[in-house]
Amino acid sequence: MKAPAWIIPVLVVACAAAGVGGSRLLVAPSVVHTYAQAGPTADARTSQMVVEGVKCVDTAERAVAQLNDVAGVLKCVAYASRARLDVTYDPARTSAAAIREALEAPVLVPATGEYLFGLYRVIEMNGEKIADVDE
Amino acid sequence: MKRLRLIFQLSIVAAAAFAGVRYALGKSLVSVETYCPFGGLETAWSFFTRRRFSCAAGETNLALFIALIVLTLLARKAFCGWVCPAGALFEWEAKLARRVFRRRDFSGVWPVPAKVDRALKIGLRIGALGLVLVATWKTGELVFRGYDPYYIVFSAHGHDVKAWSYLVLAALLALGLVMPMAWCKYLCPLGAALWPASIAGRLRLARNEHHCTNCGACDRNCPQDLPISRVGELTSGECTLCLECTAACPTPKALELRWSGVPRPKGRR
Repeated sequence: MKAPAWIIPVLVVACAAAGVGGSRLLVAPSVVHTYAQAGPTADARTSQMVVEGVKCVDTAERAVAQLNDVAGVLKCVAYASRARLDVTYDPARTSAAAIREALEAPVLVPATGEYLFGLYRVIEMNGEKIADVDE
Repeated sequence: MKRLRLIFQLSIVAAAAFAGVRYALGKSLVSVETYCPFGGLETAWSFFTRRRFSCAAGETNLALFIALIVLTLLARKAFCGWVCPAGALFEWEAKLARRVFRRRDFSGVWPVPAKVDRALKIGLRIGALGLVLVATWKTGELVFRGYDPYYIVFSAHGHDVKAWSYLVLAALLALGLVMPMAWCKYLCPLGAALWPASIAGRLRLARNEHHCTNCGACDRNCPQDLPISRVGELTSGECTLCLECTAACPTPKALELRWSGVPRPKGRR
């Protein structure tokens, strides 16, 4: 059956739109980490943070490791493609502000013993913008 | 339609360059990788076996790759001819080389014999695809980034782009001058991945022998250098439906776009 030429751009646009729209159905994390000090808690809370510097699995793992010593942080799920961390914590023992501070603290590189400054910056917390990306 | 395709290509090249520069300047968190469907294929194994994404790949890459397979099953490699920014750059280079070297067609200064062409398309490209996928699945890193012309050009010196990446790009561009579209034809791993679906693709160019004058204008203007005038229906998995052939054809109705395998409505001939 004969087909009009305009069908090609129409199919291209339709498939691109379906791909971008359909991506919501395929959400999966890059890193999932449950902290050793988690312990039982009655009232866990989850904060969604968009963190500048989380670009791939490696940088996400490093960001997750920044919270190792924060008492009350239970679990962290990282989505590298969205630069997003979902941090679950016990509000009785820590707060979103303390978690942000820990994330933005200098990062120790174990191999060299050096500290890297400004590697991570929280720019959005629970849908609320804190800073611009380029600030 | 030729103009519309050029608008598509220019818009996508401009959007990719804009996104790359913004990301490199730290003004955006959306990198040029976010919308690359090949990233979806690279991370597919990790996603379906561990429910995790590899490296910087994410759900948008995977969803776009799935959508791309659907597009290819319908409209063959229309992605390559209408969307791919690297494909656009190599096509423009091929057109430039054709003018500079005063060639009548896209066979290039070093025309590749048909048998070698087929062997390279199958062997080299599928080999490149296999290598990239195995290395990505084994390491969990997008190992192909440093060699990928799309990433090298549009990431604005992004992560993993080293000095040798530019040498790779320069070599590919130099090769493209004498062997038009060499990257797309012989090396692109995404092209290799799409090839089986493209062969099965339903939208095809058909030549009407009653109207065709065998002038060969379609062959000469095909950037993929496909022998359109020698077949009834173009079944090659390399056709990008760029429609350069139909635009060059001097005879109306000699080349038509058809849904292959779909019967004509009753009462029509």
